[in-house]
Amino acid sequence: MNGTSLHRIRLPRGTALTVEVGAQIRPDEVVGLRRVPMSPIRVPVTAPFRRQPGDLDAVLVVRPGSLVTEGDPIARDDGGRVVQSPVTGLVVSAMPVDGTLLIAPLGPEEPVVGHIRGRIRGLEEHALVVEVPGVRLRGVGGSGDAVHGELMIAVRNPEDELRAAAVDSAATGKILVGGSRASAEALTRARAMGVAGIVLGGVLDKELRDFEAIQRRRQQAGGLTGSFGILLLEGFGKVSIDPQMFGWLTEQNGKMASLVGAEQLLYLYDSVRPPMRRSLPQVGERVIAHRRPFQGRTGVLVALLDEAHAAPSGIPARSGLVRFEDGRLAPLPLANIEAIVRSSES
Amino acid sequence: MIDTAASMDAATTELSLLVDVGSAWTKATLVGRSRGRWRLGAHAAQPTEWGDDELMRTLAARLVGTADPRLTDRLRALISDAPRIDCHTPMRPGRIALAAVSAELSGRAARRAAEAAGWVVVEAVTADDGRTIAERLVALQSVEVDAWLIAGGFDAQGGDGALEMAGLVAAARGGGRSPVVWAGSSAMTERVAAFFDHGVMRQVANPRPSASREDATSLRRHLEALIERLVEPTGVRGLAPVGLRRSVAELARASGLRVAAVDLGARYATWIVADPAGHGRSRVLAAGGLASPLLTAPGGASRVAHSIAVAVDELAVADALQNLRARPGSLPQTEEELAIVHGAARLLLAELAGDGTVLDGIDLLIGAGRTIAAAPTPGQAMQMLLDGVRPLGVTQFAIDAAGALTPLGALGDDEIAEGLGMLRDDLLTPLGAAVVTRGGRSGQPAMRVTVHRTGWPTVGPVEIRAGQVQLLPLGRGQAADLDIELEGGATLGGPRRSRRVRASVIGGTVGLVLDARDIPLLLPRRADDRRAVLSSWRDTLGREAALPSGGVA
Repeated sequence: MNGTSLHRIRLPRGTALTVEVGAQIRPDEVVGLRRVPMSPIRVPVTAPFRRQPGDLDAVLVVRPGSLVTEGDPIARDDGGRVVQSPVTGLVVSAMPVDGTLLIAPLGPEEPVVGHIRGRIRGLEEHALVVEVPGVRLRGVGGSGDAVHGELMIAVRNPEDELRAAAVDSAATGKILVGGSRASAEALTRARAMGVAGIVLGGVLDKELRDFEAIQRRRQQAGGLTGSFGILLLEGFGKVSIDPQMFGWLTEQNGKMASLVGAEQLLYLYDSVRPPMRRSLPQVGERVIAHRRPFQGRTGVLVALLDEAHAAPSGIPARSGLVRFEDGRLAPLPLANIEAIVRSSES
Repeated sequence: MIDTAASMDAATTELSLLVDVGSAWTKATLVGRSRGRWRLGAHAAQPTEWGDDELMRTLAARLVGTADPRLTDRLRALISDAPRIDCHTPMRPGRIALAAVSAELSGRAARRAAEAAGWVVVEAVTADDGRTIAERLVALQSVEVDAWLIAGGFDAQGGDGALEMAGLVAAARGGGRSPVVWAGSSAMTERVAAFFDHGVMRQVANPRPSASREDATSLRRHLEALIERLVEPTGVRGLAPVGLRRSVAELARASGLRVAAVDLGARYATWIVADPAGHGRSRVLAAGGLASPLLTAPGGASRVAHSIAVAVDELAVADALQNLRARPGSLPQTEEELAIVHGAARLLLAELAGDGTVLDGIDLLIGAGRTIAAAPTPGQAMQMLLDGVRPLGVTQFAIDAAGALTPLGALGDDEIAEGLGMLRDDLLTPLGAAVVTRGGRSGQPAMRVTVHRTGWPTVGPVEIRAGQVQLLPLGRGQAADLDIELEGGATLGGPRRSRRVRASVIGGTVGLVLDARDIPLLLPRRADDRRAVLSSWRDTLGREAALPSGGVA
C-alpha cells in the first residue's frame, strides 16, 4: 500500500519499446511506439505469376503475422519473379480461394504512454514491470484507461455528491476526488472538460452504465479523445469515502497521482502513508461497514459477541457490536467490517 | 467426543484437517476418531483473508467442551499439527481469445467448450460480429491471454472463413509462447498449421463438424488439460473443481447412483455429473460464481429482480450485485440482500446446470459452496437447488454443509473411497427428495402422489396441479415409497412414458417436495402477480412441512 510496489504496464501487441530495463520513467513518458493496423488491402499473389489460386502456398514467402515493408517480396515463383508488398503492413491472411494476401497497412506511429512513475524492473511478454515509489490505494471498482494527473479535491465533505456544475476548466488534466457519488451527467461533463480521472466513494451502477454507454456511442461516432479513468474506493450505491481517508486525500491535494481504472488502483507519489484497512478488527478499533444499511459508515468496534449472531438476513456469523458516529449501536458480522488503521499504528 | 490415546503419557488424539481455500471463504472441517469411528468434530468457515491462525483458533474454540478436557490447553497445537488435506480455488483463471467463423455455430460451440473447461473468454471475434477486419485485429492485439482458440468450417466443406480467422490470430498473436488450439474444419488443418511456428498449434476435433452435429467433448478435454498445464503446472489434484469431481465420481460409484453436484463460489462455479460407473464429467465456469459478469452485465439485475419475492428496486438490485462482486467475503446483512443473493444463485445455477438442456435421471443432487450449503434455512438451500437446477423426475437433495466433500477429492486415487467411506454418515446433510414434473395443463392436476411409509399411515393421494408446489413431511432418514400418477400430459422424464411411476425416497431436513411448476419455471408478467407467486413458493418451501388436510388414508 505504500513504500514501493510493482506495477505491470500492459503493452498492446506490436508495441516497440522506447525505454530499457533500469530506466526511470515519468507518468507522461512515452514507453513505446505502436502502429495500429488499418483496414487490410487485398494483394493478388498468384495472378501475376499466371498461376492457380490454389498454388498460393507454393509461392508465398511470408505468412499471417509477418510484418512487411513496402517493396518487400511477399511471393516468389520458380523462375525467380517476385510480387512485392505495395504497403508497409501486417500480413493478416492468405486466401487460397482467390490467390490473394490480406495486408493491413500500419497507421502512423502512436505513442504508448505508461502513466506511471518509477523504475523499470523487468520486461514480460507484452508488459513492463515498474517499481513504483508511491502509495498504492486499491479500490473495489473502476473502469477506464490508465491516466495520470494532479490530485484535486472537488467536494467539501466525503458524503457530498460530485455535481456536474462543480467540474470546471480548473479540473482539466486533474484526478478529481469526489465524494459519495457522481451522476452520469457529472462524469460526462468531467470527461468533456478534460479531467483525467475521478476517485469516488461510490457510484450507482446505473449511472456508471449510462456514462459508459455515452462514451461508447461517442467513440463509435469518432468524437472521443483522451483517456479517462474512474476508481471506486468503497462500493456501489451512494457511499461516502471514510472521513479519515478523505482527510488523507485532502492532505495530498496537488500531488501527482496515477489512476488505473480497470485494475482499480490509484498511485500517489511523494505521499505519506494513508490510513490502512485490515480485516478481522479488534475491540476498540475504528471500523468501516461494507453492507447495507450501514455501508460506508464508520464507528468503533466496542465488543465481540461470544456466540454466532444471526444478522437480519438470518445468516449466523461471528459478530461484533459497532457504535457508529451517530451513536447508534448495531451488531454486525465481522466479515462485513474492516478496521481502519492509522499509518502510525500499522 | 474425541478419544484420547490413554496408553500414552500425555493424552493425545487422532485428528485430520480438511481445508477448502476459496477465493472469498475458507472452509475447514476437523475430523477425529471417536469410539473407533472417524467423525466430523468441528467445522469453521471464515473469509479467506482472515488467515490460517484465526482458522485454527476458531476450530479449537469449537472443540472446547466436547473434546477430552486433558486436551483443552493443547487443542490449537494439535489441530495445527494434524495431517491436512488441502484444496483451493485456482489462483487465477486461464484467459483465452476466441476467433470463429460464426457466432451462433462454431463460435458458440467453442465458447461453451472453453468455458466448461474453466477458461475465461476475454475476447471473441467472429466473421459475423459486425466489426471490420482491422477492428477485430486490434481487439485481439489488445488482450492479454494464455492461449488462443480458432474454430469454424465444416469438415466436409473446408472453410475459407476459418482460414481468415486463423490468419487474424496469427497476425494478432505476433509470436510469443502462447499456444494456439485449432478446432475447425479438419480439411484446413495443414494450411492453418503453416501460419504458426512448429509446435505452437495443436489440432483438436472440430466441435461443429457439420451443420447438424455438435460434439465438443474432445475440445473440452483438450482445453481442460491445457489449462491445467498452463495455469496450475504443479498439479491439479488440489484444485477445488477437480477435487469435487473426484469425490462425486467416487460417491456415484460407491452408491450405484447417478449423482450431480454444484458448487457455487465467489468466482468459480462447478457442475459435476457422475454415473454409477464412477465416471464424472464437469463444467467449470471460472466466471460463473456470484461475481459473474452475467449478473452485472446489462439485463442481469433485471433478471434477478424478476426472480425474487420481495419488491426491490432494480437499481438497488444492480448495486447489490456489484457489491457482491466487489466484496465477495462479506455476508448479506438484510433480508433484501439475502433475497438478491439467493435470486442470483438460482439464476447462476440455471445457467450452469441447464446448458440449454433439461436435466433428468439424477438420483442425488448435492449443493456445495457457502451460499447454498450455509443458507440460513435448509428450505432456502432446497429452493435454490430446485428452482435453479430444475432436475426432472424423482431426486434426492443434500448439501455439503461441512465443506468436506471437495478436500476429500484431493486424496490419492486409492484413498478417496476410504476417506468418503469413513465419513459417510456425516459427510452430507440430506434435505429430502423432490418429484419434479414437466408439462401439464395450467390449473389442471399434473400428478397424484401417494406416500407409503412403513409403520405410518399412508398419505394421499395428494393432488398437485400444474403450477403448484407442495411440501410433505418426511424426516431425516425416513424411507417412503411413492406411487405417482401423472395427469394432463405431465412427465417425469426418462425413457418410459408411463402414467404410473413408483419410486423410493428418503427424507431429510426439508421433507418431500411435490413440484409441478414445469421446466423452466413460468412466472406471471405482472409484477404484483409474479411476486405473489414467488412468495407462495418461498413460503411453501420455507415453512415446516405439514400433511395435507384429509390427506392421510
